[in-house]
Formats: sequence, C-alpha cells, structure tokens
Amino acid sequence: MKKGEERVMEEEDDQQKAADLVHELVLRLLSQNPQTPTPDPTSPSFLKTLRYAHRILRSRLTPSVSPDASAIAESLKRRLATHGRSSDALAFADLYAKFSSKTGPGSVNNKWSLLYLLRIVSEDRQSAVTGLDSSLLLPNLNLGDEPVSSSSSSLGRNKKSNNGVLLVSKDPENLRDVAFREYASLIKEESEVTEEVLVRDVLYACQGIDGKYVKFNSEIDGYAVVDYVKVPRGTRTMVRMLSELGWLFKKVKSFVSESMDRFPGEHVGTVGQAFCAALQDELSDYYKLLAVLEAQGMNPIPLVSESATSSCYLSLRRLSVWFAEPMVKMRLMAVLVDKCKVLRGGAMAGAIHLHAQHGDPLVHEFMMSLLRCVCSPLFEMVRSWVLEGELEDTFGEFFVVGQPVKVDLLWREGYKLHHGMLPSFISPSLAQRILRTGKSINFLRVCCDDHGWAGAASEAAAASGTTTRRGGLGYGETDALEHLVAEAAKRIDKHLLDVLYTRYKFKEHCLAIKRYLLLGQGDFVQYLMDIVGPKLSEPANNISSFELAGFLEAAIRASNAQYDDRDMLDRLKVKMMPHGSGDRGWDVFSLEYEARAPLDTVFTESVLSKYLRVFNFLWKLKRVEHALIGIWKTMKPNCITSNSFAKLQASVKLQLLSALRRCQVLWNEMNHFVTNFQYYIMFEVLEVSWCNFSKEMEAAKDLDDLLAAHEKYLNFIVGKSLLGEQSQTIRKSLFVLFELILRFRSHADRLYEGIYELQIRTKEPGRERNKTQESSSWINEGRKAITQRAGEFLQSMSQDMDSIAKEYTTSLDAFLSLLPLQQSVDLKFLFFRLDFTEFYSRLHSKGKES
Amino acid sequence: MEQEAAETARESLELVFRMSNILDTGLDRHTLSVLIALCDLGLNPEALAAVVKELRQESGNNHGSRLR
Repeated sequence: MKKGEERVMEEEDDQQKAADLVHELVLRLLSQNPQTPTPDPTSPSFLKTLRYAHRILRSRLTPSVSPDASAIAESLKRRLATHGRSSDALAFADLYAKFSSKTGPGSVNNKWSLLYLLRIVSEDRQSAVTGLDSSLLLPNLNLGDEPVSSSSSSLGRNKKSNNGVLLVSKDPENLRDVAFREYASLIKEESEVTEEVLVRDVLYACQGIDGKYVKFNSEIDGYAVVDYVKVPRGTRTMVRMLSELGWLFKKVKSFVSESMDRFPGEHVGTVGQAFCAALQDELSDYYKLLAVLEAQGMNPIPLVSESATSSCYLSLRRLSVWFAEPMVKMRLMAVLVDKCKVLRGGAMAGAIHLHAQHGDPLVHEFMMSLLRCVCSPLFEMVRSWVLEGELEDTFGEFFVVGQPVKVDLLWREGYKLHHGMLPSFISPSLAQRILRTGKSINFLRVCCDDHGWAGAASEAAAASGTTTRRGGLGYGETDALEHLVAEAAKRIDKHLLDVLYTRYKFKEHCLAIKRYLLLGQGDFVQYLMDIVGPKLSEPANNISSFELAGFLEAAIRASNAQYDDRDMLDRLKVKMMPHGSGDRGWDVFSLEYEARAPLDTVFTESVLSKYLRVFNFLWKLKRVEHALIGIWKTMKPNCITSNSFAKLQASVKLQLLSALRRCQVLWNEMNHFVTNFQYYIMFEVLEVSWCNFSKEMEAAKDLDDLLAAHEKYLNFIVGKSLLGEQSQTIRKSLFVLFELILRFRSHADRLYEGIYELQIRTKEPGRERNKTQESSSWINEGRKAITQRAGEFLQSMSQDMDSIAKEYTTSLDAFLSLLPLQQSVDLKFLFFRLDFTEFYSRLHSKGKES
Repeated sequence: MEQEAAETARESLELVFRMSNILDTGLDRHTLSVLIALCDLGLNPEALAAVVKELRQESGNNHGSRLR
C-alpha cells in the first residue's frame, strides 16, 4: 500500500485531478440525499465523508480481477438473461458492442474498469433491494494470499465500526464464515505450494516436461510431486493421477518419433506411417488443448455473484475434468502403441481393429477415425490389386504375397495369402476372392497375353460405384469393398474363362485328351494297336521312339483322327518311359499330350502324370482285349480245321477236341470278363465323368472352379479305374488276371501253331523236311511217331491250359471277392454284370463249403 | 478534431448511461461522467464502487429508486 501511495504522490498532477474528481463525486452522491439536498462543501460532516471516501479509495489500489471487458460484459448479459430480462440482455449486448467500438480521442479508455464498476454498483443495489444476505451463501474459499474479503452485507453491517475500515465480522451470526476461514488457513499451512503452481507443473508434466515441483520419478515410473515439498496427501494423489497423462503422452510421442526416425531405413511400412500420422494428428489436438488450458489457467473465473475475489480458473479438480477425455484417448493410444510396436501392415490394422469393438461411443468414434487413416494404404493396395492386378507392397504389409515362379506355376503358387497380415475385418472368404481376382488379372496378363481385362476392371469399378482413382475406399466401408471385389471378380473371372474357352480352346483340348490319352477314339486306338503291337513285343532297348512316332502318325492318318485340329494332333507325342533291361516295349510305351501356356496351369506335370497312369492302365486293358480278339481270329471254328481233324486218329482227335474245347471255354470266360470290365471303364467311368465334367465346366465361375472340376474329373477316373491308393490289392489281382490272359494267348497261339503243323504233317507227310527241330523229329519217326508226338504235345498243352485255367479261376475268384469290398457303387454293378448267372458266387460258396 | 472528440465522449457517455440504466445502478449522467474520469485515471473500480455504496448509505437508507 505504501508503495502505491508513493506512486500516487509522484503523479501529483493526476493526484490533484483525482482529488478534485473525488470531491465532485462525494458532492454529487451526497446531494442525492433528499434530507440534505445541497450539502455544504465546507461543513465538517462533509469533510469527514470526503476523508472516508479517500480512505476507501486508498485501501484497495489494485483490482482483484484481471482486466477483461468482454468477459464482464458477457457475464452481465448472462445474468440479465437468467433473470428473465432477455430483451434487456439483448439491448445491453447491443450497447456494449457500440461502446467497445468507440476508440480514439474522447472515448472511454478504461472500458473494463468502468464496466466492472457498473456491475458492482448494480449488484450492491440489487442485494440491498432484495435484502439478500449473501453471507448465508457459501463464500468462496480462497487459498490465495489475500484474506477472505467480506461480503457486501457484512460491509453494511460493519459500517458503524471505526471509520469504514473493512473488518471481517466476528459475530456469532457469521460462524460459517469463520469456519471456512479457519479451514482455508489450515490448508494453507499444510501446503507449501499454492495450487496455481501445482496446476502449472501438472500442465508441464502433461507435455512430458519436469516442472518445478512435479517431476518424473523413475522409481514409481511416473510423475509425482517431489518429496521435499509439503503438500496434503490428497493433492499429491491428485497430481499423480493427472500426470498419468504425461506418462502416456511420453510413451506415444516416443513411439511416433522413433517410427519416423526409423522410417526410410527400416521397414516401418506404409500402414505404420499412416498410424504414426494419425497419432500425430491426435497429439496436435492435444497440444492445442494444453495451450488453451495454459493460457486460460491463470485467469480468474469470471464470477457473477461473488464480488471481490475469485481463485484462478484452473484448479487441480477442474483440470481433472478437463483431462477426462484426453486421458481416455491417450490411454487408448498408449495401448495401441504397445500392441503395434512389433506389428506391421495388415496385422497392425487388425490389432487396432480389435480395439475398435468398443461400446463407448467416444472410444468407438476415436478408433474409427484412427482406423480410417491407418487402413487407407491397405485399402489402396486392395483396390489396385483387384482392379489393376498390381502388388504395390514394398514393405510386405499386404495379405497377398507374390513369389517369383515359373509361368506355369503362377496360378497355383505365384500368389499366396499371408494370414498373419490379414486384418480381422476382412473375412477369409473375402480375402480369398480378393486374392483370386488379382491373380486372375496377373494370369491374364502374364500367361494369356491378354489385355481385355482392363475394360472388365473399369466396368467393375463403375458398377460398384467407386472410381478407378486412388483413395476410393476406407475403413468401415466393408460392404463397399465387398461389392467392389464381387463386381471385379465376377467380370474378370468371366473374362478369364472366356479367354480360356474361346482363345485357348480349353474344352477342345480336354476332349482331345479324352480321345487320345483316354483312348476314346476307337478306330485310332485299334489301328495304333495293330501297327505298333508287334514292335512293342520286342525288348524295350531295341525300340526307337522315332519309329513309334512314325507309327503314331500313321495311325492318325489312317483313322478319323486326321480330321481333327492339327494344332491338337501336333501336341500328341510318344513317350518312352525309362526302362530297365528286362522290359518289353509294352512296358515303356505311352502317349503324352503337350500342354502349353496357359493351359499348363490346368495340365500340370502331376495332372499329366495321372493321365499317364490312366493311359497305361487303359492301354494294358486294350492290349488284353486286342490279344483276346487275336486269339479269336485263329481259334474261330471253321471247316478247314474241322475237316482236317477227320483224318486224325480217334484218340488224338479226342484229345485235340477236348483241348480245343477247354481253350474255347477259357477264352469265353476271359472274354466275358474283359468285355464287361472294358464296358465298365468306358461307359461307367470315362463317359460319365466326362459328362459331369462338361456340366461343371459350363457352370464354372472362375479358374479355381475349373481347376477343381478338372481335378475332380481326373480323380474320379483314377479312383474308379482302380488306380487309387485304396484299390491297390484289387489292382494287383486284376493285373494277375491280365497276365494270365496274355499267357493264355501265347499258349493258345502255340496250340494252334501245333495244330496247324499237324494238319500240314498229316496232309503232306515228309514234304517239309527242314521245318523246325520239332517237326523234323516227327518226320523222322514216321507217322506213328507223329501221332504220338501230337498226343504228347496236346497233353502238355492241355495240362498247361489246365493250370492256366485253374490259376485264372482262383485269380478271378480273388478279384470278384474283392469287388464288393470297394467303396464305389458302380463296381457293384460291375460285379452283377460279371456274375449275372450267379455262376461265380455259387462256385465261390461251393469252394468255401468243400 | 476537438469537436469530434467531444462528440465521441458525448456518445460514449450516453451509451454508458443507458447501460447503467439497464443494470439499474441508479447513477445519473453527471455522477457517471465523474466516475468515467476517475476510472480513466486508473483508480480501482472496486474502491470506487465501495465509495458509491458507502456514501449512498451515509446519506440515508434511500436506495434511490426515485432517482431515475
């Protein structure tokens, strides 16, 4: 106060002016008194009043609120409005606007103080009029340096006491006041630091900076008030709670800066960058909030009802309210930062997505906006992959991974789903579709050398409502994404199949394979078998594949196959399998079909090897059938043979006839089996599966469908043809049967050769001396000997035949007993067909009984 | 220039007077002009308000609803 006085003394001029004005003021105020309309300016009572006024003026030289005219005007306006005087409030606002716009010479310089003055005077009058005793209300608890000022009515009550010196009343009526004051001083004693300082320190701590009293304590891993300062325990806890925000902030901040630093060198990835950018955005919002709080923090609260003092705007409690929302966000960010430290790309997006499943709308919204940023690179990748087939993924973040492979493996192995990078908001089936669509585009581009897909892609984009530009999709629009993918997949897959079917004639190639490799073209097979058969009986190393290729060409030219497409015929090749020393031509000969890009995606090596197995099996079957037909040609009963038998001796003739008969019976049995088996293979396996495959080929929507259909087709054939894993035993017994039939053929051939020889012998004895060793011996020993020889020969033949028949019966029995054990129903039909008279089953049961 | 300043001052006083009326302070134009001058001299408005109030009470418990 003294200091103030001195300053006043210095400005004497002003002082004089002020004194005059005060004099005038006192005069004016007193003159309003109706009892003394014209006070005497020299009377002692007037002088006393003047002195009193001066004393009051000197007592408070600085105002207790910060100068802010607009805030005061605002609070006045609001008070008017709350008192139901809204028109007055508007008028006041209008007047104030005009008033504040007046600047320059002649205007009021100190606007705020005038307004403040008006407000206090108005409040004083109001409280005096209504007689409201505001001491009954809670006085503002003040922890500041100033003593608690008295309220207006206590001023009034104390007016008689010593010359207007403002004394706080201590009468019993004001007990509550006293109690509050005592409490305030108690708190003040307890704490060495004022709340404002702590608030400022907390604000610092929240930016990760140590304040004067609030410092980072590594022991408790958090900010706390330093130990040597005495503060109440409650405040200490409060500060710790508030400065958790600082700890979280530090964590998030360090993650962001670390990632940014690492970026160009190490692989943070685009998703990681997007995440950092989103976090950075949130942090800058947070900075804004802190800046505002700091700026406003030191301002006093514009109070309406309390006259003199009010504490600073921010207390620790207010701060805790302000921090409630940022705290939630910051906690979330810190959790995410922890989670995402080791994650990248799609995995990161997925992890964040898991946190977005939250019931709190605030959290949910926050996470949505965060995810929208984080996922944008990911969605961009999906878009360019689905519409352009490009894998823009330098950091390995996308859930589709490309591998450098050979062209024929592009479809099957070129691109894979990386499940670790698949965020959970994209379902696996959608991911599959995304993968396939992009793969289709790449397949078209690389393997099919086709460019029509671009049109299909842009059409798809137009249909799904997005543009082919960047940034059309975002997180939360999974429906739109699904729609886009569905449209793109539909069109591109259709285009791909069109290209395969029309340009690359997939269907025709399949048919060609069926006709040549699966022996569907009967005349061709027949002819090939005819011309190639003798050659194949030779040892394998005597056969050249060129020779066989010549035979193949001849077979094509001789059959209807010559009218087939040249392109397909060119692909048909002879293949000699690697052979050992004992192998015959039959064992190593096979046909193969050369598949070129892009069809080698369907006809891969493993597929072709399966075809090869089927071919070998069918070829064997065909050979057996061919052999049986060959025997039939020689053993067909005709008059020549029957005539010649007449000249034989009765015993030999009988022997001969019984041998022939046995031969016929056995042949019939074998023929029955082979015919039915072949019928089964041709009509119940090959044709049926082809029919199904054709249907599925029509229905196929994409290349995967087509591949699956083809796979199914082939597996069906392999399984039904007893080539599968589980039919190994039955296959063995079948091959034993084939073996026996072939043995039978060679025996039958020898038998008929012998008979033929015999015929010649009996017709023209001794004419051919230099025949074989056998026949020459017959000649030497004469006719009788011939007969004897023939008898022996026939006996041994019929013995052999018997043994073959016996073996055949047991083998067939084994085969038939295995048939019902097979899983497929069709084989049961085969069984019925073979055993249509129940001959075998009866034989079987009889054999069991005996 | 001088005239303009006087004009502004007059208008300002008028505005302040009307505001004061809305707030029901019971101060007349003359008193207001004196108060404005005192405020411009940098006196504490709180103290001035106290003076106004005290002197009003001093001059009898007439709260001047008639003063308008």
